[in-house]
Amino acid sequence: MNIEYSDDHIHSLLHPFVSKWFKSKFETFTDAQRQAIPHINAGKNILILSPTGSGKTLTAFLAILSGLTSLSERNLLEEKVYCIYISPLKALDNDIFKNLEEPINGINNIAGHDVGIRQAVRTGDTTQYQRSKMLKHPPHILITTPETLSILLVAPKFREKLKSVRYVIVDEIHSLAENKRGTHLSLSLERLNELTGGFTRIGLSATVSPPDEIATFLSGYSWGTKRECEIINVNYLKQLDMQVLCPVENIIETDQETLTKELYNLLHKLIQQHKTTLIFTNTRSGAESVSYKLTQHFPKYYNTNNVMAHHSSLSKEVRLETENQLKDGNLKVVVSSTSLELGIDIGYIDLVILISSPKSVSRALQRIGRSGHQLHEKSKGRMIVVNRDDLVECSLILKNAIEGKIDRINIPHNCLDVLSQHIYGIAIEGRQNIKHIFHLIKQAMPYKDLTWDEYEQVLRYLAGEYSTLEQRYVYAKIWVDWDSNTFGKRGKLARVLYSTNVGTIADRSHAKVKCNGQIIGNIDGDFMERLHKGDTFVLGGKVYQFKYARGMTVTVVPSGSTPTIPSWVSEQLPLSYDIGVSIQNFRAIMDWKLSTNLSQEEIINYIKDYLYVDEYAASSIYYYFVEQYLYSEIPSKNKLLIEYYTGFGGRKFVVFHSLYGRRVNDALSRAVAYIIAQRYHRDVMISIDDNGFYLSSDSKIGGAEAFEELTSDNIREILIQAIDKTETLASRFRDCANRSLMILRRYKGREKSVGRQQVTSKILLNFVKDVDNHFAILDEARREVIEDYMDIKHAQEVLKSIEEQKTIIKTVDTTIPTPFAFNLVSRGYLDVLKYEERAEFIRRMHKAIINKIQENKGNKLRKVR
Amino acid sequence: MDLSTKIFDAEIINNALKIEDTLIISDLHFGYETSLNNQGLMIPQYQFDRVLSSLENIQKKANANNIILNGDIKHNFGSISKQEWKEVLSFIDYLSDIYVDIKVIKGNHDTFTQYILNKRDLILEDEVILGKYLITHGHAIPENISENVETIVIGHEHPCIGIRNQERVEKVKAFLKGEWNGYNLIVTPSFTPISHGSDILHEKTISPFIEDVLEFEVFAVEEDEVFPFGFVKDILNIEQYENY
Repeated sequence: MNIEYSDDHIHSLLHPFVSKWFKSKFETFTDAQRQAIPHINAGKNILILSPTGSGKTLTAFLAILSGLTSLSERNLLEEKVYCIYISPLKALDNDIFKNLEEPINGINNIAGHDVGIRQAVRTGDTTQYQRSKMLKHPPHILITTPETLSILLVAPKFREKLKSVRYVIVDEIHSLAENKRGTHLSLSLERLNELTGGFTRIGLSATVSPPDEIATFLSGYSWGTKRECEIINVNYLKQLDMQVLCPVENIIETDQETLTKELYNLLHKLIQQHKTTLIFTNTRSGAESVSYKLTQHFPKYYNTNNVMAHHSSLSKEVRLETENQLKDGNLKVVVSSTSLELGIDIGYIDLVILISSPKSVSRALQRIGRSGHQLHEKSKGRMIVVNRDDLVECSLILKNAIEGKIDRINIPHNCLDVLSQHIYGIAIEGRQNIKHIFHLIKQAMPYKDLTWDEYEQVLRYLAGEYSTLEQRYVYAKIWVDWDSNTFGKRGKLARVLYSTNVGTIADRSHAKVKCNGQIIGNIDGDFMERLHKGDTFVLGGKVYQFKYARGMTVTVVPSGSTPTIPSWVSEQLPLSYDIGVSIQNFRAIMDWKLSTNLSQEEIINYIKDYLYVDEYAASSIYYYFVEQYLYSEIPSKNKLLIEYYTGFGGRKFVVFHSLYGRRVNDALSRAVAYIIAQRYHRDVMISIDDNGFYLSSDSKIGGAEAFEELTSDNIREILIQAIDKTETLASRFRDCANRSLMILRRYKGREKSVGRQQVTSKILLNFVKDVDNHFAILDEARREVIEDYMDIKHAQEVLKSIEEQKTIIKTVDTTIPTPFAFNLVSRGYLDVLKYEERAEFIRRMHKAIINKIQENKGNKLRKVR
Repeated sequence: MDLSTKIFDAEIINNALKIEDTLIISDLHFGYETSLNNQGLMIPQYQFDRVLSSLENIQKKANANNIILNGDIKHNFGSISKQEWKEVLSFIDYLSDIYVDIKVIKGNHDTFTQYILNKRDLILEDEVILGKYLITHGHAIPENISENVETIVIGHEHPCIGIRNQERVEKVKAFLKGEWNGYNLIVTPSFTPISHGSDILHEKTISPFIEDVLEFEVFAVEEDEVFPFGFVKDILNIEQYENY
């Protein structure tokens, strides 16, 4: 399908000025350029998958620049936008602007005059002055974000300038497709399609799977059929130098202290062998801790001037400072969580280290792809493992990466909150035909299966039908006339209201951290609540002492002591389901191998071959499995092991070895716990991990029998019950109410704080539940929890496999947890599940608190005596 | 058998307090929805019907002849919204059908309430004396307190407690029992069904009558049930241990 054209052929497609400029800069075209330019030139939709910084953007822009040059030279270049470039980050927008200056100036130089191609960045930061300038002389290439695009679609004058857009480039499309920002963008593209009558769509993506799905996400449907889209997949894996490293020879028998010491020794060694190292941790707190400890362990080598942390909890200024230091080559090490994954320009990095499993192949590739940015240079990445499970996980990630098995991404479907926002926007554009808009929406891939019922539900919500007729003027955002099949906006403020509240990024509750009157970053709302006066914690690699909090601002002073509060909560990355399944398959193989009379050496050699790991790693893995095998059973894809054991004080544990990743286990565990809690009329505690979950209780509970009741058919229903009273649902509901504009963050010139929204959204949630238990936004919040936050789809797959007896259930009783259960049960419990009515809950807690108070009084009396 | 819970001889009936033949409720905040609407929270008007139905439940048990609205009848400081005109008048009319005597005490939100009450010939009062009880809203301390007063009843604070168990948090409205300046003090919860109020375990108290909330006793109420939780200081003490 992908034909590679010769240099001459491609040059013949480009305008001579562009061709000449290219020749002056590059020897030849990259693989991606060679394949893509003819397609773009022919106006075909195209998805380009290749690593960050491989000249992807130039690939997309070359044909467009050539087209614009041709128009200009024929005096046909008009005052309108021809191309829209969309990226998820403002920083990336600014980088692209800078990168485009070079070819544009180059073309002008070769032409000997100003060809007149204009480009401009338009984001939320663009000033009023710049905006009016853009209206007078629209940029031919408009560089923007998904949110700003949707605002431009309702801007009456600027909208006109978009009418003849011919190309739309969506950069880092993989990072958008898997969340609601992407869903939002997909509808904006269809609205733009309606306005322009069609354009060429160019998607730029890191390596993702399945490419077809991303391609469809980019190009959408036309009357139920997929629009055509070429896929260009540049084989990136060949250029990858990737290894799993163990800090010690035998990770099983090393104590934590030695392991930590050796981990930093290994980091030090690697850092010293390279010029600039980028370290990724999975949490922001991890990033803090690593950058702090490096300076503690090796003060001669590392200090706050050459080691910096970079993560989303740090203020924009601090992050920018780190980026600039990095670009200028002043840093030896930068430690990041997820914030440096995307393609903003960070200069030269020759080594990427991942501490602990990146949890998915695509994330591993994305992170490692940040190194070796010069073309044709290998990306170098090292995964350092911190425990036995981590070792197995990283080894399977390595195997899948080498073999090109990338985990599949999950694209959310039928998000009714995002849909509400867009229908409002569409109504603002003018009076609309209800049926026609239904078809328009269904052209976007995430809404392909939208039902008329769901659509109607959203229209009724927007029309304020949840309030009485006489009050509707306050609540209705649109009017709907079912008889004439039309709808339109209501209210004079509609456009302002839409434009100021557009977007899908949830405001997490963040508290600002102030030191000496300066804001130095922010911390999670949850984290703030845990802080007590005098506590010290790490932020931006430095230690601060908590003084006091007022509202959502925390005041701190610098501190010299060691941090007393270790980490942020609940921000760990979930293991991808596909890696989970790979590990489960590997476990099945090992189970079988160990049951044969193969020698130790033979099996270790097999592991080395199968997982592409070294001798140490292979033998560590071997011993880990042997321990489990000899002590009990090896759980696998074919065998769900359920382990009953009694802990301290007679506490009962039921461990489910379901290695399917936390999102699947979240769904499975809550459904199982719900059933068990109902059967035994007891509180059931749940703890969830990527490798499995456990239930625990102070008296005997079952576990395996839950699967008599739980099926792939009823799990959805059970989960809806199980999550009904949780904070997770409440906070997701708030986000959905924001997105569907039932709670307006910005209204009448005021911005509402997240804290305030939290209070009011509770009011709204209670109201909505009372009015209609299937209110569109409530249903969307449930869908989001069950499908996006948890992974019901794969949980159903697991249940199906049990129903079809492809997976058998095996139960064992143990006195101490099996090796595979060890990491799981050493964690604290996470949630209590008992389906109780509010009154029941209050009664129970009242009793518990009173008892506790009595107990404390008793203790005190004893102490006094 | 008398199942009722009393604080300083005043009986708790759901969110209301009954003293002799009089019901006391506080902080109705009619018009709250309009004010939320103006802040961008698109919640329809629903509290009026709920207030009526919960008051009906209370009256079934209380069978009282008189009622005192102890401040913050309506919500908006700065003006009278359409909703407030309508709801306050309908509410007074509703009460007139059931109660012999209606008294309305001025709360800090009641800057404009008198204009509405004029239509029904009612006068906002700063305080009402009921035997040995003094009833006042609680945002300001009265200049002088008559001699035979032993117990002061206030609203204003909207007390509630947040009961937390792992992921789940339920806020429950609460009466507070304590003392101020040698007087017994009762704080009533807000009557508005829109919000539970402010969690006295974690939020700063606002009434000048409450000097040290730690020394107050909590009586949480949920519908008909009263849950005596004991002293705030003891609850907080176990919260620290349990890391609630």
